[in-house]
Amino acid sequence: MRSNQAYPGENKWKGWLYLLPGLLIYLVFTFYPILETIRTSFYQWDGFSARRVWVGLENYRVVFSDGQFVSAFVHNLVFIVFFCVLPVLIGLFLASLLSRKKMPGMTFFRTVLFLPQVISMVVVGVIWRWIFNPQFGPLNVLLTAVGLSSLTRPWLGDFALALPAVGSIGTWVQYGFCMILFLAGMQHIPEEYYEASSLDGANAFQQFTHITIPGLRAEIGVALVTTIIAALRVFDLVYVTTRGGPGNATLVVGFLIYRSAFQQNRIGYASAIATILMVIILVISLLIRRLQSGSAEQTA
Amino acid sequence: MKRLRLHLVVLLVSALILGACQGAIKPAETQAPAPEETTLVVWDQFYRDVESQVMDTLNKEFEAAHPGVKIERVVKTLDDLKVTLKLALTEANGPDVAQVNQGRSDMGAMVEAGLLLPLDSYLAKYNWSSAFSTSVASRNSFTADGKTFGQGNLYGVSPTAEVVGVYYNKTMFKKHGWDVPKTFEEFEALLAKIKESGETPISFGSLDGWNAIHEFSAIQHLLVSLDYINNLTYGVNNVSFNTEENLQAAQILQNWAKAGYFSEGYAGIGYDDSNALFKAGSGAMTITGSWLAGELVNDTDQQFGFFLLPPFEGKTALAIGGVGIPFAIRNTTTKADLAAEYLNWMISPRAAELWAKAGMLPAIALPEGADVDTNNLFGDTLKAWDTINKGNAVGHYIDWATPTFYDTLVAELQKLLGSISTPADFVAAVQKDYAAYLNK
Repeated sequence: MRSNQAYPGENKWKGWLYLLPGLLIYLVFTFYPILETIRTSFYQWDGFSARRVWVGLENYRVVFSDGQFVSAFVHNLVFIVFFCVLPVLIGLFLASLLSRKKMPGMTFFRTVLFLPQVISMVVVGVIWRWIFNPQFGPLNVLLTAVGLSSLTRPWLGDFALALPAVGSIGTWVQYGFCMILFLAGMQHIPEEYYEASSLDGANAFQQFTHITIPGLRAEIGVALVTTIIAALRVFDLVYVTTRGGPGNATLVVGFLIYRSAFQQNRIGYASAIATILMVIILVISLLIRRLQSGSAEQTA
Repeated sequence: MKRLRLHLVVLLVSALILGACQGAIKPAETQAPAPEETTLVVWDQFYRDVESQVMDTLNKEFEAAHPGVKIERVVKTLDDLKVTLKLALTEANGPDVAQVNQGRSDMGAMVEAGLLLPLDSYLAKYNWSSAFSTSVASRNSFTADGKTFGQGNLYGVSPTAEVVGVYYNKTMFKKHGWDVPKTFEEFEALLAKIKESGETPISFGSLDGWNAIHEFSAIQHLLVSLDYINNLTYGVNNVSFNTEENLQAAQILQNWAKAGYFSEGYAGIGYDDSNALFKAGSGAMTITGSWLAGELVNDTDQQFGFFLLPPFEGKTALAIGGVGIPFAIRNTTTKADLAAEYLNWMISPRAAELWAKAGMLPAIALPEGADVDTNNLFGDTLKAWDTINKGNAVGHYIDWATPTFYDTLVAELQKLLGSISTPADFVAAVQKDYAAYLNK
């Protein structure tokens, strides 16, 4: 029995020892704070005083009845279009452009297109706040220069356009990540498939839908999970650009948590929102993984 | 077997965590200051170049006057200070003296948690009531349970003062022959005249939100009584936000937005950007606080002046104003007397002179013969502060009223400015927040 489980000369418990540093960091900095957040969500607490009152599910009742969470979550759902759907589509498009034909300078394009992903979100926010500035921002200047001055707007201050404006920053950040992911995936698709299909008379679009997309199933799954999570937990971008305004037009769950916890000292209420958000993200991630493995079995 | 090993790992991990915690606690316990050398730990938020130098000078002079005392200064931005201070004050080795932001969610919450030392005995000892008025003291006062703002014990003393008014571009005013208005009616006529000339009447940007509160409340302060604004801010005597005066102020603000008196695209411009534009000569006026005065002196070819938003014909006017973020003492400090001595130094005539030299309004009167040039923008703000301080017309930052008032006001004012809501909707929505707080 023993020889089946371990390599000769090695004790099994050594494996745990290798895991220990990572496990320790995970337990202390991720798992313990999560448990603490869940516990705090049952209390009324201002975050620093010794008075912490057990209120049971009261925080959850308030979260679902005061309307703030629901309206903020709707904005997060809109962000899924901008952080996930658009970047995946753009990423697929760019990846198939860059992978099919060998051209000089390809590495340069790949790097440049991936760059937004590398910049910190705060810096991204500051840059786009400047781009969107109604008086000296390049966007309105450009629109005016080409005779479209009727389209100029105070983008981040416009009630109808602020949410799409912030969302499009997300698209700009995320598509590079999707593209690199898909490019890597495409290298595993055998060239023969494409050759065989073109002999059979398939055009580029048919090749894309019947060879490339199925071949990228795993990568698309990863892209969906990470970008949807990014859309649901977005905070820094909103904090830097609009702080939830104008009105509450760009208020998202992440910012609502920050505002309740650190500006209004409602730690219990904020913890309840954070717990709900965590459960939602967990369910969505599991669902996507289930869908993905299910369809992978079908095609196999 | 497997299960046992898992248990072992968990045990090992817990032991490591516990060990790490103990290691962190131990050295702190043994660390006691030598009897002659006393270190006073001070946290402040004067991080900007000039004001930071004032603090360094004051600290050095304090050390020189108190042999054996060392000031350990920790500087943070206000945002950083607000987030970290509450927990730091619960520590046995936390700061002895710290700047504590006024209002319910900061000072009020800390008083409720028993983190701050009541200063009333020192108020008598140092005769602070001769240095500042009761109206000023009440801004730093709470009842001992932290529930009632504006009365009870004194918990902080403020070194600087602030007043919200109108900065105007003197260069532009001279060029067009405009005069500083004496009444609100003249002020509104001037706005129309500036608009007609093609210039922007009021440089403004509401993207950051908070300064919209000042735009609204500056007008509100011309209409309401001091009693009303005190009651509203301190949450006493059950006043309402849904009043004729507030409605009228909201209407005026919305009219200005509709008439195009604010910078083009103001909804998408941040506070700092709007000020940068104003400094560069775009916009005839801007409504904000005296803290901006220092910024408008260097690196510009424009000349700026400051005046209080003028009163309605035949009425007396208040102005938003108050004292800067006060210094407070940690309740559990062992050096309370020394800390109080330090607070007293922060509001001494010498400190007032240094603050004035740095272009900031001192909270107490400048000493006679102080070596400070007042024939300039700083002089204008000093005059404005003197006017409201002596005339008992110092209003309030209304966002102190409830813990959620700031967020509610910002969101509702952006809607009002964008004509998403009416002035009636605005006062009703704000009143809803206020009533919910009073009924708690």
